[in-house]
Amino acid sequence: MNNPQYRQRAIQLREELSDDYFLLWIWDEALGAAGKAGQFYDVRALASLKDSQNAGKIPKLFKPISIYDNQGGRIGFMIKKVGEGTAALSELRAGDLLELIGPAGNGFPIFQGKRILLVSGGIGYPPMWYLQKELINHNQIYWMHGGARQGDVFPCDEIWTEDGSIGRHGRVCGGMRENIQKYDIDLIYSCGPMPMLASAAQISQELGIEHYVSLESYMACGIGVCHGCAVPIGTKDDWDYLRVCKEGPVFNAEEVRWELL
Amino acid sequence: MGTAIKDNSKIRPNANELLHSKLGVLELKTPLTVASGTFDLENLEFFDPACLGAFVCKTITRLPKKGNPPPRLYETEAGLLNSIGLQNPGLDAFIAEKLPVYQEQLRMPLIVSVSGSSIAEFAEMIETLETCAGISGYEINISCPNVENEGIAFGVSSEIVYKLVHRLSALTQRELCIKLSPNVSDIAEIAQAAEAGKASSIALINSIYGMAIDYRTGRSRIKKGIAGYTGIGIKPVALALTHKTAQAVNIPILAMGGIYTWQDALEFIWAGASAIAIGTANFINPLAAPELIMGLGKFLLEQQLSISEIKGKAVI
Repeated sequence: MNNPQYRQRAIQLREELSDDYFLLWIWDEALGAAGKAGQFYDVRALASLKDSQNAGKIPKLFKPISIYDNQGGRIGFMIKKVGEGTAALSELRAGDLLELIGPAGNGFPIFQGKRILLVSGGIGYPPMWYLQKELINHNQIYWMHGGARQGDVFPCDEIWTEDGSIGRHGRVCGGMRENIQKYDIDLIYSCGPMPMLASAAQISQELGIEHYVSLESYMACGIGVCHGCAVPIGTKDDWDYLRVCKEGPVFNAEEVRWELL
Repeated sequence: MGTAIKDNSKIRPNANELLHSKLGVLELKTPLTVASGTFDLENLEFFDPACLGAFVCKTITRLPKKGNPPPRLYETEAGLLNSIGLQNPGLDAFIAEKLPVYQEQLRMPLIVSVSGSSIAEFAEMIETLETCAGISGYEINISCPNVENEGIAFGVSSEIVYKLVHRLSALTQRELCIKLSPNVSDIAEIAQAAEAGKASSIALINSIYGMAIDYRTGRSRIKKGIAGYTGIGIKPVALALTHKTAQAVNIPILAMGGIYTWQDALEFIWAGASAIAIGTANFINPLAAPELIMGLGKFLLEQQLSISEIKGKAVI
C-alpha cells in the first residue's frame, strides 16, 4: 500500500475529551499496517456526501486529520471541532460511517538512544501521542504541551496554558530552553500552530539541535495531486514549494523557510 | 414489402457503444476525462481507470516553475479558489521522470497540457514532445489565470491565438486541443481563431477570476489576492460558454467547469460538448469519475441515446 487508499469505514467507538475535543476509532487491519506516526488521513463524514447528494448539493472537501493512535488495526483520530467539516464529524456516533483517504504523507523519522523533547500546541497533540508510543522503548522523552486554556491541554510531562488556568502560565515555547538544558536534549519533534512551530524552530536552530516539525496546511486533494498545500522548503538560497500532503507533513525545521510563510 | 422493418430489440447498442465519443483525432471509449492539475496516478488507486476516455496531465512549462506563495487554496460557499501558479518541474524533468511512468501505467490516451510564455516557446515544447512516444495529444493552456505571460495576453487576443495555433498545428498530427479562458469578452471569437489555425478541438473553461476575504481582518484568503475559481459555482457560466462556442465552431469541444455528476455531464453534452472533464469534483468525491460514467451509461442505455445523437441538441 504505497499510495493512499479510499475507504468507507464504520466508527467503532467514540470517546469524549474536554470541550470541543473527541476521539473516533475505526478498525482496518490493512490500513493500520500501512500507517506510521506523523501520517494522516483525509477524513469526512459519509453522511456529508450522502445528504448533499440527496439534496442535489455538493459536499465540502475532506479535512486532513493526523493519526492519533494505530495499533493492531485499531486506528484513532483525535479531532477538535473548529469549522464546518469537523462540526459534521463531531455529530458522528459509533456505527456511523467515515470516508477516509490515506494513510497519507511521510511520517516522523524514528530514532533510538536519543534524549527527546516533544513540543505540542493545541490540536498538535494527537500525532505526538502516536509518536511517543513509537519512541518510548528506545529513547528518553520529555513532553511539553500548551494550549489556550484548560480545555486545550492533555496528559504529558509539562503543561502550559496561555490563560494560566492549569500548569505553567504562558506559551509552551517559553519553557523550551530550560528543558533542553535540564534534560540535555539532542532531538526535538513539534506539532502545533504555525507561529508556535516558527518559535520552536528558532530555538532549536540557535542551539543547533535536530528538530522535526509536522506542518498543517489547507488541502484540496490531500494525496499529492493539486499542489495546493505547498510550503517553501530548502536552504535560504535554494528552496522549492513542497507538498505538505506528500513530501510532508513532517519536515526538518531547519529547512522550512519560515520567513516566507 | 419493400422496406425492412427496423427491429430495435436486435440492434440495441450497449452502453459502451453509446458512451463512445470522438475528440478531434482521438477516439474516446468514454466522453470523460480529467481537468489538468486535479487528477494524477494517485487517483487511479481509487477506481478502475476504464471509466476515463483520456488522461490530461498537469500543465508543464519549458522551465521549472516554483508556483505561487501560500496560502494557495480556499473553499468558498460554492466551489474552490486556487492559486497554484502552474508549479511544475519543467519539460525536461517531465520527459525524463514523469512521462516514462505514464507510458508504463496509463491504459488510455495521454494528453499533455503545456503552457508557454511566447509562440516560439510553445513551438519548441511541441517539437520536443513530438519526439516522445506515448503521447496522444496536447492541451494548449493559454488561459491560466494565475500566471502572467510576460505581458502577452495569449488567451484574450484572437489574433495571437490564431498565430499560435497555426504555428503549432503545422508541427503535429496529434490531437491539438486549445484550452480557452472564460475571462474574455467573446470566447466564440477566440474559439473561431483557434479553429482557423487548425486546432482539432477546444477545451473550455479554465477557471474564472475569484477572490475571498476574511471579513474580520480584511485579509485575502489567498496570498496573491485574485485566484482561479472552479467547482460548482462556475457551472452555469461554463455551460453558457460551451453553448455559445458550440454555435460558433465545428471542431469538437471538451467542456469543463463545475461538472460533478452524470446529470451535469448530460447538460454539457446537450449544450454541445463532445467530451467532458471533471476537476474540482475529484477533490470532493474520489469516486466522481466512475459514478459519473455509470450514471451516464445507464441513462443513455435506458433512453437509447448516444453521445453523438444528443450533442448540441439543447432546446432553447
